Amino acid sequence: MSKEELVIDTQNLQKKYVTDTVETTALAGVDLKIKRGEFVAIMGPSGCGKSTLLNILGMLDSPSSGSFLFLGQEVASMSERQRAKLRKHNLGFVFQSFNLIDELTVEENIALPLAYLGFSKSETEKRTLQAMERMGIAHRRNHFPQQLSGGQQQRAAIARAVVAEPALILADEPTGNLDSVHGREVMQLLSELNEAGTTVVMVTHSPTDAEYAHRVVNLFDGQIVTENLNIKRHAAELL
Amino acid sequence: MLQSYFKIAIRNLLRNKVYTAINITGLAIGVAACMLIFLYVKDELSYESNFSKADRIVRVAGNIVFDGHKDAFAVTAPPMLSAVREFANVAHATQLANTDKQTIWHKGQVFTEENLLFADSAFFSVFDYELLAGPPATALDAPRKIVLTEKLAQKYFGSVEAAMGQTLKLSRDSYVITGVYRDKGHSHIAASGLLSLATIEPNLPEGAQDQWFNLNRYTYALLTSNNQLAAFQDQLNVLAANKVNPWIKSNKINAVASFIAQPLKDIHFDTRFEHDLTPQGNISYVYIFGAVAVFLLLIASINYMNLATARSAKRAKEVGLRKVVGADRGQIICQFLGESVLLTFIAMMLALALVQIFIPSFNLLTDKQFSSDFFLNREFMAALLAIVLLIGVVAGSYPAFFLSSFKPADVLKSDKQPRSGSATMRKALVILQFSISLIMIIGTIVVFTQMRFLKNADLGFAKEQIMVVDIPVGDTTLINRLSVINQKLLQNPSISNVSNSYSIPGQPLSRALILAEQNGKMEEKTIDVMFVDYDFIPVMGIEMAAGRNYNRNMHTDLNGGVIINEAAARWLGWKDPIGKKVVLSTSALGDSQAKVLGVVKDFNVSSLHAEVQPVLLQLTPQSAGYLLARISPENQPATIQFVEEQWSQFDPKHPMEYFFMDEFFDRQYRAEEKMLTVFGYFSGLTILIACLGLFGLAAFTAEQRTKEIGIRKVLGSSTGSIVLLLSKDFALLVLVAVVLASPIAWYGMSHWLQDYAYRINLSWWIFALAALLALLIAMATVSFQALKAAMLDPVKAIRAQ
Repeated sequence: MSKEELVIDTQNLQKKYVTDTVETTALAGVDLKIKRGEFVAIMGPSGCGKSTLLNILGMLDSPSSGSFLFLGQEVASMSERQRAKLRKHNLGFVFQSFNLIDELTVEENIALPLAYLGFSKSETEKRTLQAMERMGIAHRRNHFPQQLSGGQQQRAAIARAVVAEPALILADEPTGNLDSVHGREVMQLLSELNEAGTTVVMVTHSPTDAEYAHRVVNLFDGQIVTENLNIKRHAAELL
Repeated sequence: MLQSYFKIAIRNLLRNKVYTAINITGLAIGVAACMLIFLYVKDELSYESNFSKADRIVRVAGNIVFDGHKDAFAVTAPPMLSAVREFANVAHATQLANTDKQTIWHKGQVFTEENLLFADSAFFSVFDYELLAGPPATALDAPRKIVLTEKLAQKYFGSVEAAMGQTLKLSRDSYVITGVYRDKGHSHIAASGLLSLATIEPNLPEGAQDQWFNLNRYTYALLTSNNQLAAFQDQLNVLAANKVNPWIKSNKINAVASFIAQPLKDIHFDTRFEHDLTPQGNISYVYIFGAVAVFLLLIASINYMNLATARSAKRAKEVGLRKVVGADRGQIICQFLGESVLLTFIAMMLALALVQIFIPSFNLLTDKQFSSDFFLNREFMAALLAIVLLIGVVAGSYPAFFLSSFKPADVLKSDKQPRSGSATMRKALVILQFSISLIMIIGTIVVFTQMRFLKNADLGFAKEQIMVVDIPVGDTTLINRLSVINQKLLQNPSISNVSNSYSIPGQPLSRALILAEQNGKMEEKTIDVMFVDYDFIPVMGIEMAAGRNYNRNMHTDLNGGVIINEAAARWLGWKDPIGKKVVLSTSALGDSQAKVLGVVKDFNVSSLHAEVQPVLLQLTPQSAGYLLARISPENQPATIQFVEEQWSQFDPKHPMEYFFMDEFFDRQYRAEEKMLTVFGYFSGLTILIACLGLFGLAAFTAEQRTKEIGIRKVLGSSTGSIVLLLSKDFALLVLVAVVLASPIAWYGMSHWLQDYAYRINLSWWIFALAALLALLIAMATVSFQALKAAMLDPVKAIRAQ
């Protein structure tokens, strides 16, 4: 596996939280490599460090020690400003609780990353419309988040995550707040994105959702305990 | 991007109406008050600036040190003019002199003009008033010429053109109108017309042209350039040393004179000199007003900071998300600063409307004439925008820096409540707000108490129930017949006594040179003199401490007796003053030796700012300025009407003008009264704005503690104890503010009270009352929210989380 093909490459990644009296280890030496175009699910019981790992991979948090190469660049030692720059050009996020801005309409929410990237007005409109159409929520463009169903909100959130065409999408329990029908819809969308070439890393509790991934990484007490290839998915792709 | 910020800001403001209303109202009141204060301060600081050569004009003022006692005068003697004109760096020099109130007879009607001045022909060369008619150089060059202001010309003749060349009959003489000028306002020279000084020059006593102690002229010089002030002062020093002091010595007067070049623009706030043309402004009020403006803005800004950080939990998700999709910290800071600037801008628009509504009342309060379109100039607009930006940035900076520090990983987790800003910081800011409010409240109570003390203080005379009729000046036949009206008035049982006096309390007194017996020898002294008649002491209700009052039947009293007050006896070191010798030196009568007939108990001739000064009451029944009648409080209107009827028979030529002694005396406290009103209003505003903020914070606290309240209620807590629980933290903040504010207020107000020789003590109850007031107002504000939270159904409260 050549280095260039790797989107994520971590070595001995550690994260410790220190309070006045207690030191908690959230990640205890994680080595994880994710190739471009992969769909990886991270599973494990509550408190095993899934979210911490995802936050570090998403550059929302920094590791206490260890190395984290993102597209071959060392991220661990970057400043907040440098990470913000790298983030906005390369990453898209999908959260369990959607995290849309209540004061902005669906369209405005989706256009937000493009605004920070400095896109022109016409380009922004074009890309936003494409993203909305792809997620099937263009008819709801002028609604505010509270006026949408959970499934619609998550589709809007995914549209926002992909609008700037990032190399990697990080999803934190994307179906956690949805019923099974809407959950399936969302997983279908993520799967389609992955098939179109986007790398997806997803934290989930749901074995059903994990089935959409190429590979499942199991975390326990801050360490990777097993990594399973999803035979079904690989087989489907081979066919 | 800006568009998205703007949209979010507007939508946020609309969504949180209470919070928006609190912030906008507070800021609008603060900004409106600031605008008014800005107008006042700018106006006060711009006196004399309407004269194009104001920077080059100086007035000559004088100090005379006599017997170790220094007197400072705004007036100089007539020869100062020719002396100054010889100075190398003087382009022009002019003199002004006061007139008495003038009666004007015009077209069968009688008018009174108070603000006429005598001026010489160089006046318009120094002060560049615009002459609408008449030649500036010669308009005042000969006796009995008058130049009117445009306003006065219109009052009497309808137009400038119609006034020219007409004659106006004044109290003593008739004057020909030789010019009309446009008043510039905003000057200590607030004349409505100018009479030629040449009219009174021949009346000067013989030798007066060399008389350096005849202090009745205001002398102004226009310097050749504005850097000549020091050189001019040097020449004044030389004049004093080489000419004036030798003259004083040659007249065997034990005094030293010096002169001061007073820049024109300094006159308005320079309170050092007595006998100025118009009352001075008070620079302390400019500072106080300025401080109040800053306080108000600070309190309103703190509201914004506190409410914005308290509510920050609600904005945390947005911040986190913006960071996730690529915003850096700078962009988030800009966004929140933009929001506060937007809010301030909206507040400013509202403030402009408020100012429009309140400008008439403010004019009344400050005796100014600000027009409501004051803001329609570039300078003001620029200042206003600068203020908006400043407040926006100051108020917005703390929330902006705080909010932008959120880490997305923390705030985007649904199970974790983000922080609501530092509670300690918010508490500190509330304490600061209440400290400021408390200082204002304490100040108001102190000023109010001192005012009440001034008005009710025992002055040593009974100021109530004395009706004072103004006797027209210059009519000697009238004065000679005063006994006629005195007798008529005394026939009315409501009038117990009548006096005809030249001096009354509340007016500046003349200072006279006397010789007083000191260890068997006669020594020179200067003393304040009141010119009174036989009945002055009983009418005023002044008590005798020793000896007797003047007696009509004792003919020697007229030139051979004087009455002094206790302060004079102490000052002269007389243990047994009765019979001590005094020589009064008056130019009219020549020197006359007199003996002390009586000593009156000390009474306050001037306001209680000053201690009772040594005073000599000289008997001069021939020179009356006022008719004083002590009337009974019953049937007062009927008595006044009676006096009016008698007066109109006695003097049909002049309309009767009267006032009451207590009102006249208390007029000396007008500045304090104004200050009290202003202080009262503004302290009301500070507490109002502070309470608005407290209201918002209390709502926030109640909301934040909803679950706790629910659990407590389930466990059996009463509504009362929950209200107490929520209120006591705020009460504590107010109490801390009391502790902080009291010493500061004590220091400031003792400083203010230093201005009064007679003053109240800053007793503990003033501070306790202020504390109680602030606490009550704060608790009333908080308990509304607390009660609302406490009455909530506990199930709802628990479910709310």
